[in-house]
Amino acid sequence: MPLFLVYFAHFHQEFRLPELDSLSILENVPITYDASSYSPESPFFLIEVESAAQAAKLVRRGILIRFIIEYWGSGKTYDELFALLKQTPDRWSDFMACSFKFTVDGFGRSLSQKEKVSVIESFSFMGFQGPIKMKNPDAEFFVCEEYGEPDNPLPAETPKMIWFGRLLGQGSRDLIDKFDVKKRKYLGNTTMDAELSLVMANQALARDSALVYDPFVGTGSFLLTCSHFGAYSMGSDIDGRQIRGTAGFRLGVNGISANLAQYGLADRVLDTVVFDICRNPWRDGPMFDAIVTDPPYGVRAGAKRLGRKSGVDPERSLRVVDGVENHRRSDYLPPTEPYEMSDVISDLLSFAAEKLVVGGRLVYWLPTVAGEYDPKDLPVHPVLRVVANSEQPFGGWSRRLVTMEKIASLEGRATAELPEHAPAHKNFRDRYFSKFEALSLNS
Amino acid sequence: MRLLTHNMLKCHVKNCTDPDKQYPLRFKDVQIEQIEYEPNEEFLVRMLPRIDWSALVKTAKDLNIGIPGSMPEDPASDQDFLQKLHTIIMETHITEGSMVCDGCSHEYKITKGIANMLLAEHEI
Repeated sequence: MPLFLVYFAHFHQEFRLPELDSLSILENVPITYDASSYSPESPFFLIEVESAAQAAKLVRRGILIRFIIEYWGSGKTYDELFALLKQTPDRWSDFMACSFKFTVDGFGRSLSQKEKVSVIESFSFMGFQGPIKMKNPDAEFFVCEEYGEPDNPLPAETPKMIWFGRLLGQGSRDLIDKFDVKKRKYLGNTTMDAELSLVMANQALARDSALVYDPFVGTGSFLLTCSHFGAYSMGSDIDGRQIRGTAGFRLGVNGISANLAQYGLADRVLDTVVFDICRNPWRDGPMFDAIVTDPPYGVRAGAKRLGRKSGVDPERSLRVVDGVENHRRSDYLPPTEPYEMSDVISDLLSFAAEKLVVGGRLVYWLPTVAGEYDPKDLPVHPVLRVVANSEQPFGGWSRRLVTMEKIASLEGRATAELPEHAPAHKNFRDRYFSKFEALSLNS
Repeated sequence: MRLLTHNMLKCHVKNCTDPDKQYPLRFKDVQIEQIEYEPNEEFLVRMLPRIDWSALVKTAKDLNIGIPGSMPEDPASDQDFLQKLHTIIMETHITEGSMVCDGCSHEYKITKGIANMLLAEHEI
């Protein structure tokens, strides 16, 4: 199969290959690559795809992909690159007469207009005869000089590599702006940023006619991004104030439904319901194609479940106040107790194992304390296979986007086989804050 | 709340486990709103095996919404049927009212289209 060059966005390096794999499934475009050639320091990655049309289709909803380029050659110097290109002159012949343009880019160093022009002129040996057209040319040729990570510049004299090919298409990074949380009518204090919400939709294989569910829906970010890609979505939360918009940053805008109107997704975001996922009213059996969620882990918003720390006391909800049983009063709120992170995750895995259809995906965030994480900490379940586990570091702690796929029906198997030792997310809240206390004492 | 969602929910009060009574939940004093959307046949067909048909028929009849008594032999290629199904499960919204369990009489309130299915302290 011919070679194509993926030009990744240079963010979230651990998420890029998993997203590429998800796109291959989503778009039904088979790809092959050598994973050992992937470098988190480089935004360039070579893959094999059957055709140029397939390659363009592959990346069209990529969030961490900038461009896809039909790979013509690369070299450490222009002489090296030109020598390689001259071996396949028949490749150019298709483009002799059509309109074209050249785009010159630098990674890790920006090139002056003068430098760009001189690069373009150096390609004149190819002898394209067609008109130069800056807008919508028939062919766009792409040159990129790779110098190294911008934050970590080499003595920027010579590029590490010069890449050349024909630009075929781009990803969907414009959606990051469209779903920018600052532009949303309604948001809360734990609303996930747009870029990762969109990556999650890709990891979940959210697509037309799939049914996606978020059991910790909050202000509904994942319903928006999954439904943008055509999925139908539902959410629930123990805290109805977030759904209704009676709590959060923006009051009086009608909560989640304000965002549905803003983004025109009222036909795809089906419903949000108030309940505790620990004691949920879903009827038995698989229903969802994906479960996409950011469980509350107690840093900004502590997880809660129905119950009472001191033990449930049925008397309290049945007690008659002003002639009405307490629980029938319109302002009755059932008591809640803290819901420890490791319980949240093990419940989430059991739930996903039952409620996902076979082949469906669970995509969730797992917080871990830096330096104490061990891959063994990852909760496992006999019918859920880990597809990807990508870290987003924040100094003292990290969160990992875990993607799991249901590989077999449940048929009364055991509940989550959790690791026997205390995982790095056990009592995460306590350890997170104690770490911060230690940091502030030292400063 | 759409009838598709309603079809997926049962009463989950502790000790309320009679499958014939805890599901489907019966609507009471409801306000209904019809909102038109473009039907998506592929989605409807994909949902068919996930829908409890007899519960849907019972609920639709309760609400005086016309529904075929039985599923056609080949629902996926029956456009009339799919359009009716779309109207029932996707376009019909319960905006106010409640859902009552015939087993334990718990009333789940629906306000502005959002159902509150939290349980009280004696129900967990």
